Amino acid sequence: MFEPKIICFVCKWCTYAGADLAGTSRLTYSPNGVNIRFMCSSRLDPEHILWAFDRGADGVFVGGCHPGDCHYQDGNYKTLRRIELFQRVLKQFGLEDGRLRLEWISAAEGKRFAELMNEFAQQIRALGPLKLGSRKGGQDGGSAKREKED
Amino acid sequence: MKKIKSIEQLERFRKEILKTRETKKQCIIIFGGTCGRSRGSEDILDAVRAEIKNQGLEERVEVRGPGCVGFCEVEPVVVLKPQEIYYPRVKTDDIPRIVAETLVEGKILDELLFSDPVSGKRCVSGDEIPFYQKQQRNLLSHHGEIEPTSIDDYIAIGGYSALVKVLSSISPVEIIDIIKKSGLRGRGGGGFPTGIKWESCRKAEGDIKYVLCNADEGDPGAYMDRSLLEGNPHSILEGMIIGAYAIGAHEGYIYVRQEYPLACEHFILALDQARDYGLLGKNILGSRFNFDVQVNRGGGAFVCGESTALMASIEGKPGEPRAKHVHTVEKGLWERPSCLNNVETWANVPLIINRGWSWYSQIGTEKSKGTKIFSLVGKVQNTGLVEVPMGITLREVIYDIGGGIRDGKKFKAVQTGGPSGGVIPEKLLHLPVDFESLTEAGSMMGSGGMIVMDEDNCMVDIAKYFINFLKDESCGKCTPCREGLVQMHAVLEDITEGKGKEEDIEFLEDLAWTISNGSLCQLGATASNPVLSTLKYFKKEYEAHIKDRRCPAGVCKALIRYWIDEKECTGCGVCFKQCPEDAIAGKLKKPHKIDESKCIKCGICYDVCKFDAVVLE
Amino acid sequence: MDKLIIDGIETTPDPNKTVLEVARELGIHIPTLCYHKSLTPYGACRICVVETIWKGRSRLHTACTYPAWEGEVKTNSEKVIRLRKSILALMLAEAPEAEEIKELAAEYGVEKTRFRPRKEKRNKKCIMCGLCVRVCHDVMGFGAIGFENRGYRREVTPPFETYSDVCTTCGACAFVCPTGAIDLKALSDKKVRPILSEFDRNLASRPCVHIPFPQAVPNIPVIDKEHCVYFKTGGCRVCETVCGPQAVDYQQKDQIVEEDVGAVVVATGFDTLPLADLGEYGYGKYPDVIDGLAFERLLSASGPTSGEVKRPSDGKVPKEVVFVQCAGSRDPEKYCPHCSKICCMYTAKHALLYKHRVHDGQPYIFYIDVRTGGKSYEEFYHRVSEQEGVPYIRGKVSKVFPDGDKLMVWGVDTLTAKKVEIAADLVVLATAMVPSQDSQKLFSILKLATDKDGFLSEAHPKLRPVESIISGFFLAGSAQGPRDIPETVAQASGAASKVIGLFSQEKLHHEPIVAVVDEDLCSGCKVCISVCPYDAREFDEEKGIVKVNELLCEGCGACVVACPSGATQQKNLTDDQIRQMVKAVLGE
Repeated sequence: MFEPKIICFVCKWCTYAGADLAGTSRLTYSPNGVNIRFMCSSRLDPEHILWAFDRGADGVFVGGCHPGDCHYQDGNYKTLRRIELFQRVLKQFGLEDGRLRLEWISAAEGKRFAELMNEFAQQIRALGPLKLGSRKGGQDGGSAKREKED
Repeated sequence: MKKIKSIEQLERFRKEILKTRETKKQCIIIFGGTCGRSRGSEDILDAVRAEIKNQGLEERVEVRGPGCVGFCEVEPVVVLKPQEIYYPRVKTDDIPRIVAETLVEGKILDELLFSDPVSGKRCVSGDEIPFYQKQQRNLLSHHGEIEPTSIDDYIAIGGYSALVKVLSSISPVEIIDIIKKSGLRGRGGGGFPTGIKWESCRKAEGDIKYVLCNADEGDPGAYMDRSLLEGNPHSILEGMIIGAYAIGAHEGYIYVRQEYPLACEHFILALDQARDYGLLGKNILGSRFNFDVQVNRGGGAFVCGESTALMASIEGKPGEPRAKHVHTVEKGLWERPSCLNNVETWANVPLIINRGWSWYSQIGTEKSKGTKIFSLVGKVQNTGLVEVPMGITLREVIYDIGGGIRDGKKFKAVQTGGPSGGVIPEKLLHLPVDFESLTEAGSMMGSGGMIVMDEDNCMVDIAKYFINFLKDESCGKCTPCREGLVQMHAVLEDITEGKGKEEDIEFLEDLAWTISNGSLCQLGATASNPVLSTLKYFKKEYEAHIKDRRCPAGVCKALIRYWIDEKECTGCGVCFKQCPEDAIAGKLKKPHKIDESKCIKCGICYDVCKFDAVVLE
Repeated sequence: MDKLIIDGIETTPDPNKTVLEVARELGIHIPTLCYHKSLTPYGACRICVVETIWKGRSRLHTACTYPAWEGEVKTNSEKVIRLRKSILALMLAEAPEAEEIKELAAEYGVEKTRFRPRKEKRNKKCIMCGLCVRVCHDVMGFGAIGFENRGYRREVTPPFETYSDVCTTCGACAFVCPTGAIDLKALSDKKVRPILSEFDRNLASRPCVHIPFPQAVPNIPVIDKEHCVYFKTGGCRVCETVCGPQAVDYQQKDQIVEEDVGAVVVATGFDTLPLADLGEYGYGKYPDVIDGLAFERLLSASGPTSGEVKRPSDGKVPKEVVFVQCAGSRDPEKYCPHCSKICCMYTAKHALLYKHRVHDGQPYIFYIDVRTGGKSYEEFYHRVSEQEGVPYIRGKVSKVFPDGDKLMVWGVDTLTAKKVEIAADLVVLATAMVPSQDSQKLFSILKLATDKDGFLSEAHPKLRPVESIISGFFLAGSAQGPRDIPETVAQASGAASKVIGLFSQEKLHHEPIVAVVDEDLCSGCKVCISVCPYDAREFDEEKGIVKVNELLCEGCGACVVACPSGATQQKNLTDDQIRQMVKAVLGE
């Protein structure tokens, strides 16, 4: 059975803390997603998402604080705008709807984090593996220029 | 009428008035205060006017309708001048004769003259009547000479000349000095030296000061203020203007009883006239002195005659006294310096200014100067307003002026000073009438009521009557007066109803102490006087009521009984017919009998029995 | 200088004061009835009479009106006592039902009055001191009552003895009345609404000026602006006149206070579930269904009933009391899913205290479980249930409804599976603890996370229980979740220690993740300035580039994303590091 690879970009204050709570609460949930912790979801550059898909991720999950709860006042609103726009770009790139998902999860919502993880993993599983033309079996493609700079 | 703008103009005007009046050689005066009018003086006045017109005498004869004549007993009174013929108890039917015979022909109608009840002598002029002989009528003397509704009349007799004198040549401080030297004391009852009051008020701090006139004459049986207001309102007003000038006040109030409609009418008219003439208002007689007076009508509360209650009432508050440790001359009306004087006091002022303080201070005793008006009422022959010099003895007032007791009864006591005053027994009739003597005797001068009582008056009943009056008239603010008087009245009622207990006398004395010492105002402080003074002089009567269950005067119904002396009764049946309760039984020509269980002690049988067969015990 | 001597004590005369005021300053007691500090002295009752001696003249005056002039004053001389006795005797006849007068009279040895009772007087308690009339007119500015008639016929009444629109039933008249003669209901047809004491759970009234509760900090009175007559009509101001130190300030307003702080302890406490929410128990509908806090006040010696257990509706001592545990707690379907934690113990305590106060009383306790997690808690529960024999009924109450003057309680005993019916006099609900009202607003301003029940979330449930996830914010008490007093004290102490620990550091830790600008790449477009929520970016006019203030930068990274020229990076979280993380996750 296909087990998708999922990158979760999460903010430190809410979603990551929620994930932490899910852990301390000993909740079992899908192991497909791996968290990358940002200070704030507004640190997420759409390019980061592209890298993830380019590198072989089947789904990208973005988690931020609930509207109004942002530790940095309005970072999550910036994220919201960026993700909304970027969804359209992805569509033009030929990605299916649903590979990128933005959710608000508070520090107290460990259970919700676990549920969303399960749900998103199931969603990606249903979509199947991401097939990108430029992808060469895990080889870098999309951003060769940057790769050289590494 | 144009405003009189200067003193010279007023004097010129006075002469003009006098000149127009020279033509009328004769004058017929019909006195009519409220009392005269109630006896029909207005009808007589109309009749006289009509008759004069009929006879075509209008050019020659002046018809005058002034205020009260003072001799209430014989009203209505008609006086003809210049002969000074005095006709008492005139009826309208007499008018044609008086006009035709006395006025035209100069004939004195003997049968209409006053006949002295004591000597039987007929008196032609007022001066011959004993009632007037011992009086010294300073304040009341002008009553016959002026129509109270005519300012011209007042000016004609020299009115407002005191004001002229003051404005032209006497400084406010000098006025106060004159009043002080005259020895004038407040006529409202307290007897406080008027000059000192004015001086304190003048010296009191404050830009706005008030002069007030107390015309809330509430004592039962006292009506001298009414008579002054009705008969000579301008004299009071002139006094107030002079007082205001001396004190430095520009606003004045007169607090007058609503129950004195004629007095209100005359005074308000006087104010209007004075304003029209420029004697009141701005820049009086060109002197740059401003003063005006407002009329406040009292609602009939006795307590509003008390200075602070009066002021509270003017302020629109309930008429309740307040503590006046700080005098009203400093903090009175609206907390401002206020000088309150009685009607009679104000009326004295123009006299003193005109005639000088030395003239005034010669009248009266060492401490009480001038004359005082008393209303002499009760069981005397001649009731009426009596103006006498201070220091005259009570006996002179009651016997010489009042003509003694009616119906040959025996004098018992005279009550002075209104309800809060006291009774003075016969043994003290030698007392001179002045502030100190009356107070010493346990009564007071008060505003000048003098009620004469004879042997038919029960002193306990009298005390009960006054305490009842005071308990009804207590404002109810402070406990001793409100509650004490109720309790006092209840005990007096017990005594008069034959339920008195021996300890009641001590109880009354103790309660009287509480009321006198505990009450807020003078009404309360003096309210026990009727009880204390009757106890002082007539304790035996109280004891008779309590111990013997007997009312010596035969007044207290519960303590008397009527019975029919069979020896005297002829069986005429008059009492039988008149008895409202059918308490008398018996056959004609046979002695009757009173059924005591039915008898309500109304006394009708006693009065109607021609044979003195009904006995009162 | 001239002297004023009161009862032998020398003092300075002051004509602006009255003898009464000076005497009180000297600690000399003079009885008063018609006197009130905020009213002009009236001098009507005459009870404050004193003997004044001036220039050898002795007179009796009322101390409340007599100016403190020079001279001598005796407040207890023979004459004074004689007059006071006599006045009191008159008052006893006038107001035979006034207990206060009886007491005062008894102080003066007047046990019986020699006067006859005033039969025709309507109000048997009124002594006509006029305080009510004056306070209504002079102070409150209404004039809704006055004296009718004069003298002994006087009575206090609204105008024309009809109900007056002017009356607001403010109660000032009843408050100042020295003899309790005022019945507001007789004066107005308007509903009398006493201000209910929040602290006494509406079981008693409180004045408009009040100390919210005995241990309030600061322990000073406050004015209830909503009910204060001054704020409504401009009248009254009595509190101002009676306050010796002149501390009353009507100008005070709610204000925003700005403070720079280094740490915040959030301890907003809890409320009980709103009464309207507990319909089946009749809470809020029937006066004799109360909550545990109200019962606590009924048991308190300083409470509205002075510690006597009396039910609110009729003041009767309840003989059967039903305690309902978990009223709203542990009920995920209808109310709160959480356990309120403290109810088991306090209900046990209430039942015990009730039994001790009302010996023939019968308590019943409905419970789901009895949770006695705490030191000696279990032992206490056993004492109540076994030694004291308080019946514990395992089951829930389904309905409470009135039945005569009783409350019928329907429930089920799940151990016997039988229906239970109790006719109770009083029902006490152990209502659920919920976060205090409006606390959510504050939490969202502070950006503090809460759990689904609205209680504050801690940074870590085990390791960081008194800290919030946001540094500098600490949690204490029931704002974080239901807890009892010892726990709250412990947590608050912990939070305080954390704050001290934070403050005792020489330097503050700052997240090393901050923005940094590559000066060579920066074009000076200033986009980053517009996205920075902390004003951490400044434009360097000289160099034409934007710089980062590292102290202000909180490291959100929004600017990194916004930078069109790729000149901004985040130290310790560069794009490259992110790429490496992605790489690491996805494997290579």
